[in-house]
Amino acid sequence: MGADTITRTNRVTALAPWLLVLPATMAVFALLAVPVGSTLAESFSNPLGVFENYRRFFASDYNRMVVLRSFWIAFATTAIALAAGFFAAYLIAGSGPRTKRILILLSVFPLLTGVVVRSFGWMVILGRNGILNNALIELGLINAPLSLLFNQGAVLVGMVYLFLPLMILSLVGVLETIDQDLYSAAESLGSSPFGVFRQVTFPLALPGMVVGSILVFTGSLATFVTPRLLGGERQMTLATLLHEKAIISFDWEAANTIATIMIVLTALSLVALGMLAKRLSPKGRA
Amino acid sequence: MPSAAFLTRIAALALLSATAFTAHAQDRQLVISDWGYSNEFLIPNLFEPFEQEHDVKIVLETGNAPDRLNRLRIRGGVDLIYLTDVFSQQGIDSESFAPIDPALLSNFDDLYEPAKNPQGDYGPAVTFGQYGIIYDTAKVDETITSWEDLWRPEFSRAIAMPGFNTTSGPLTVLMAAKRVGVDAFQDPDAAFASMAELEPNILKTYNSGSELTNLFTTGEVYIGLVQDFAFPAIKAAIPTVEWAEVSEGNFRMMNTLNIAARSENVELAHAFIDWQLSQKAQKDGAVALRTGPVNKAVELSDEEAAQVIYGEEQVMGLQSSPYRDLLDNRADWETRWNAIFGQ
Amino acid sequence: MQQRSVNPVVAAIGWLVMAFLMAPIVIVIGAAVSDTTYLAFPPQGFSLRWFGNVLQQRSFMASFQTSMQVAISATSIALAIGLFAAYGLARFGKTIPAWFGSVFLLPLFVPEIVFGFSLLKTVIVSLELPVTTALIVGHTIICLPYMVRVISASLSSFDFSIEEAAVSLGMHPIKVFLTIVLPNIRSGVIAAVVLAFITSLNDVAVSLFLTGPGVSTLPIEVFTYVEQFFDPSVAAVSVLLMGVTIIVMALVERTLGLGKAVK
Repeated sequence: MGADTITRTNRVTALAPWLLVLPATMAVFALLAVPVGSTLAESFSNPLGVFENYRRFFASDYNRMVVLRSFWIAFATTAIALAAGFFAAYLIAGSGPRTKRILILLSVFPLLTGVVVRSFGWMVILGRNGILNNALIELGLINAPLSLLFNQGAVLVGMVYLFLPLMILSLVGVLETIDQDLYSAAESLGSSPFGVFRQVTFPLALPGMVVGSILVFTGSLATFVTPRLLGGERQMTLATLLHEKAIISFDWEAANTIATIMIVLTALSLVALGMLAKRLSPKGRA
Repeated sequence: MPSAAFLTRIAALALLSATAFTAHAQDRQLVISDWGYSNEFLIPNLFEPFEQEHDVKIVLETGNAPDRLNRLRIRGGVDLIYLTDVFSQQGIDSESFAPIDPALLSNFDDLYEPAKNPQGDYGPAVTFGQYGIIYDTAKVDETITSWEDLWRPEFSRAIAMPGFNTTSGPLTVLMAAKRVGVDAFQDPDAAFASMAELEPNILKTYNSGSELTNLFTTGEVYIGLVQDFAFPAIKAAIPTVEWAEVSEGNFRMMNTLNIAARSENVELAHAFIDWQLSQKAQKDGAVALRTGPVNKAVELSDEEAAQVIYGEEQVMGLQSSPYRDLLDNRADWETRWNAIFGQ
Repeated sequence: MQQRSVNPVVAAIGWLVMAFLMAPIVIVIGAAVSDTTYLAFPPQGFSLRWFGNVLQQRSFMASFQTSMQVAISATSIALAIGLFAAYGLARFGKTIPAWFGSVFLLPLFVPEIVFGFSLLKTVIVSLELPVTTALIVGHTIICLPYMVRVISASLSSFDFSIEEAAVSLGMHPIKVFLTIVLPNIRSGVIAAVVLAFITSLNDVAVSLFLTGPGVSTLPIEVFTYVEQFFDPSVAAVSVLLMGVTIIVMALVERTLGLGKAVK
């Protein structure tokens, strides 16, 4: 082998790793970073001033309310999913292998079913002629059907339903790793069930809680189908407002601005949840 | 080596699907954008006969008016679009349509005057319609006789009305203003204060006629503010639904058919407009879909005529909605509207 | 791991939560086979006519075809580029910094609706690509994170010294990759393909902006249908979509066990 060939081989070997990741990197760059980046850039390109679009957006009471509402729905969804998810994850982590397998399958299944189908299920349940109203009337609890759809409650139920599986799976992952001996030790030291939860379960489950909360919070901030189908125009969120501005009222300045706000909120909530986890963790790390 | 075989199979499938797509795109086609509302009737009675006569494939794009208009503006790919007057005016304002050449329309001279050039050189009106109140007589004890009845406290969350970004949504504001004795364009504060009093009775603002049918058939609402084209489907599902005979009268609407500026099938598009204006198509629509004919030569029986806007007298007395004023005040009204109905 | 005793109250609430998860799915299935013209549960009578109705609807069948075409194409492209990237990241960890891997996770953190809107402006409006191509492009990007992440995970346990040994024995690197590396990460690749395929098949938020005249995906068609009509045929489509999911899940479960696939 001549010296020349060796240098060439070396050069190829040095480049090979980058050649392998090049196509995917180019795809992400050209088809995600550039389009989304230009949306961000355009939101600041109003000739009247860099933040003019934002000033205009936030000048409207309605728009401010939509931002707050989206935030609130994401927050409430995360909190409810966290609470409900803990019970289900406890059950799953403590079950025998056979039951556990079935319960995990049941949690994964909704996750793999489309969001339209899952929201539709709640329309069937909550409708005025829906299952819940019919049941309540037959039980004699109400006389006339209640209006349960197209309000914030309906959106929240739909959102919790959408994201609960993610939370459960995140929590099962950490709860399974907690050693039974730790519980026994805490109990033998006289801790109450709540004390065990506070001293053993909570700190050890924290990483799973953070991962689950990040997935649920950012997910519900971005979801479009559920607020649209279960909330309608009365429960506009940032996602449904973005669609409305982009397609229905053809106001792309506003749409660019909303898109940027959504990305910033997502990024901020990632950072905030990470920091919160650090502070809560007794060892000072999540 | 199962994985390699697996990969090859996937690659082959991808190639196959790609070729299937290109083969698909070669047919001669005319893309028509409509509400999708009556297509079950229109496909066999209007579109398919045209396809056979002109050896062309009609592709339909359906949806609510602003959605379709904006898709046409943004992306093109549409030849013809059915719209209500407000939205066709928006399309004209944004230079999205091509002018019409009446010489290419054999039925043009048979049209009622107001239908010929309602918006300058652009598409003719193809149907007349009206906007009013319908309700389920089985669920309302005291007959609705005025727009003001909508404000009755017993109708809490019982009404569906069109959203702001629809043709007829903003017309409700005009009636709200009339209720408190002001002109909506002069005194929007009072008009929207009156709308705010209506809010507790509104369950949902809808964006398409089919959505309203849905709200009626599922029992979510029993009163609807509606354009007449949506009525037959609701009536078929719930026979006790009737038009309210309101003392103020209903609003008169006009639907137009326009050719997209980016259309490459202008000649064929004219042929289709002419087809839609023909006596047969106009009469079919009047009988089956209760759309008011724009062709003077169409003859209807008394019974058929009673259901639609028909005849010189009714048509000439037609008051179209003040869409120019509505468009000029749109941004301000939308903010006010959202402050009430977006809460 | 030994079984742990769960407080009965906690367990009872846990079962309620599981019931909450299953309720809408059971109800949709029940409503799909109901012999009524409206959505009824518990089903009244038993009928498959709504399934028949779905199979006759031009728009459902055409959009199902589009959905399959887009899902297969997007998954294949994402697999091709994702496999290379995952291999590059795992094999050359010394050259390529670890943070670089997170570039491929970016699509997970950009809200889909923002991505869809941005694609509309660039790919459709500026580049004037045909609708199907635009759909494939968008779906390829949302499939990519699953490919890179899942395949990377299964490559991380692969011993690359085997590969080096084979190459030093004179085997062509590409042949080594196909005959030694790929069979070893087969389960990871299958899991990634399945996740990507299901993601594409169910997507609404990105496709929403990209569909065009005569070209729509099934979830978009169902979404529009739900807003306009409310009869059991939506339930029937939903059940058919669930059927596809179940088949896919069963395949994964049989080949590698579900637990591994979702982690």
